[in-house]
Amino acid sequence: MNDSPVLVVTGLAAGVADEDLDILKGVDLAIRPGEIHAIMGPNGSGKSTLAKVIAGHPGYEATDGSAELNGEDLLEMEPDERARAGVFMAFQYPVEIPGVSIANFMRTALQSRLEDGEELDLFDFQELLMERMELLDMDASFAQRPVNDGFSGGEKKRNEILQMAVLNPALAVMDETDSGLDIDALKVVAHGVNTLRKENPEMAVLLITHYQRILNHIVPDRVHVMVGGRIVESGGPQIALELEAQGYEEYRKAHAA
Amino acid sequence: MSQVAAVRGDVRRAIGREAVREAGAGDPGWLRARREEAWEVYAATPLPSTRSEEWRYTDVAKLLPLDGLEPAGGGAVRGAALPDPLRRAMAQDRESAGRVVEVDGRVVSVELDDSLAAQGVVLSSLRQAARRGVGDIEALLATRAVPASDGKFSALNAALWSDGVFLYIPRGVRVEQTIRLSRWVSRPGTATFTRILIVAEEHSRLSFVDEILSPDFDSATLACTVAELFSRGGAQVQYVSLQRMGRGGVHLANQRTLAERDSTLDTLNVALGGTVGRVDLNARLLGPGANSDMLGLYFGDANQHFDFNTSQDHVAPNAHSDLLYKGALDGRARGVFRGIIRVHEGAQGTDAYQTNRNLILSDEAIATSLPNLEIEADDVRCSHGATVGQLDAEALFYLMSRGLGREQAERLVVLGFLGEVLSRLPLGGVVEKVTRAIEAKLGHV
Ligand SMILES: Nc1ncnc2c1ncn2[C@@H]1O[C@H](COP(=O)(O)OP(=O)(O)OP(=O)(O)O)[C@@H](O)[C@H]1O
Ligand SMILES: [Mg+2]
Repeated sequence: MNDSPVLVVTGLAAGVADEDLDILKGVDLAIRPGEIHAIMGPNGSGKSTLAKVIAGHPGYEATDGSAELNGEDLLEMEPDERARAGVFMAFQYPVEIPGVSIANFMRTALQSRLEDGEELDLFDFQELLMERMELLDMDASFAQRPVNDGFSGGEKKRNEILQMAVLNPALAVMDETDSGLDIDALKVVAHGVNTLRKENPEMAVLLITHYQRILNHIVPDRVHVMVGGRIVESGGPQIALELEAQGYEEYRKAHAA
Repeated sequence: MSQVAAVRGDVRRAIGREAVREAGAGDPGWLRARREEAWEVYAATPLPSTRSEEWRYTDVAKLLPLDGLEPAGGGAVRGAALPDPLRRAMAQDRESAGRVVEVDGRVVSVELDDSLAAQGVVLSSLRQAARRGVGDIEALLATRAVPASDGKFSALNAALWSDGVFLYIPRGVRVEQTIRLSRWVSRPGTATFTRILIVAEEHSRLSFVDEILSPDFDSATLACTVAELFSRGGAQVQYVSLQRMGRGGVHLANQRTLAERDSTLDTLNVALGGTVGRVDLNARLLGPGANSDMLGLYFGDANQHFDFNTSQDHVAPNAHSDLLYKGALDGRARGVFRGIIRVHEGAQGTDAYQTNRNLILSDEAIATSLPNLEIEADDVRCSHGATVGQLDAEALFYLMSRGLGREQAERLVVLGFLGEVLSRLPLGGVVEKVTRAIEAKLGHV
């Protein structure tokens, strides 16, 4: 297996675009092919900001440092270019797109990855979509429903992972995908992610969560603790267990000191 | 006939007493008299000015040189010589139960399924139907629905109409496939005046699609149309107007629907073309249990100007009306929606809704939305709402984060936004046709 990292984040500082607000204050992170890294941290510590800066959200601006995907400078790229290069972010708060069906959305997304003049085979697409929906235990009727419009919280999260499964990214950033999923749904989604990893063993995963529970199903290689826009501790999966027992108090104190 | 005179520079006027006489040549006496009366009303009615509430945003005097318009001189084109854009539009349609083709204000062909004709359905050129005095035409034409007294342009149309469609569906006859009117306006700087009269008798059923097309014009070219639609007890009628004129086209439409007891009379107005499109639509709910869904969709770019003036008149109790107009505006386009729900005294149990939503795609596009309520009964359920918004940056980011380019993402959001209207009236072929027309327009944005 090729061992050079899929994602390398170095000294990344970022804030809200056009505002004097620093959120990330120097983040370092490297994820190798096939690795799963979890990020945990208190509310407002900058986890989603990191995910959005990696995905290219126009509301945030990197002020220092770098982020590279397979050696390519992500920060120079538009969000759609990043997606086509292999970045996928499962949103903490998925957006509703009225009137646009999931099938139409995914078809357009796959088509956008083809060369000019190349046409997506609609039959193959239909098959892929149905297979992925089955994997995630979604009713076939969802394909024709407008994206996230009127979906329950859990359905939205599941729909994020469906898109991930269809697009098969090199880097999957999952921002609190587990929040809002019931226990059974969590297992289904985790099974979906693990199946994808089997199919595509090089896929790198950055998993943001507040709860140890999902890490029982999607077992991380590394766990990072983010506080105040910095990664203040990194280690093995046991960190998640410690946090579950003790909370962030100690890190907060150390960080404030 | 007129062609030669026009070429010699002896320019005839489309609008004037002489034109009224010419339009009525060959008409029966009652109709000539009706035209003359309408002309008197027209002459006595001032041109709508922007000082009036209803025309505040549409300056007819500026947009349309009424005195300079020439007659369209229709009737010259025969079936074999239909222009390509019209033929292409017709070829996109799915099966039809009947079709009328109108060129420059004259009907050039009428086709109707034999089985429907055998059941007593009448589909005819309005001119011929009026001359033959078919059915109730004398009682219904420009009287109860859109009479001359309705306004300046209703009067003008009643005086000058050259042709159009008469459609009669007998009691209990269900026309399963759509009946279509395909209109074409060919000459710049002309005016056409046409009207349609549809009567759906008790428990009958009909869907009618009225499409108007033209090439681009370098001078203002008027198509003034009237639609008079009657649904009798328990009938179900759908009327769709597709305005796809070329640039320079000025479409002034007056539509009135009269829905009797337990009947359904739904309308969809789609405005995509022309430079100016003004629709005055009045839905009258005349019997208990009557129902009108009123849908509208507009997409303007460049300097296009669309103005919708709608009213929902609840005369009878326990009737239902639901209006949804959605528009996207790009370039320097302007959209105006002015709508009123009127619940008349005694119309208890009324259910009436009105929604107008606009999506602004550029810095210079403007949407004006003026919803209104006038309620004189107490047991009613009414709501109205209007929004003017821009493309949602979060939605665009969401779509782009899956690989869609910015333009592609914008297209999807706009199509999705407008598509809601079409999904409410899923009429065979209309959804595809309108979607394709919007896509083509989005390609140019
Ligand atoms: N667009 C914005 N404008 C102003 N402040 C912002 C904006 N985006 C993020 N912030 C602030 O930056 C900080 C980090 O936010 P972020 O969403 O990254 O936190 P998080 O770690 O994901 O929290 P949670 O666990 O609650 O999801 C918060 O204090 C938040 O209020
Ligand atoms: Mg977050």
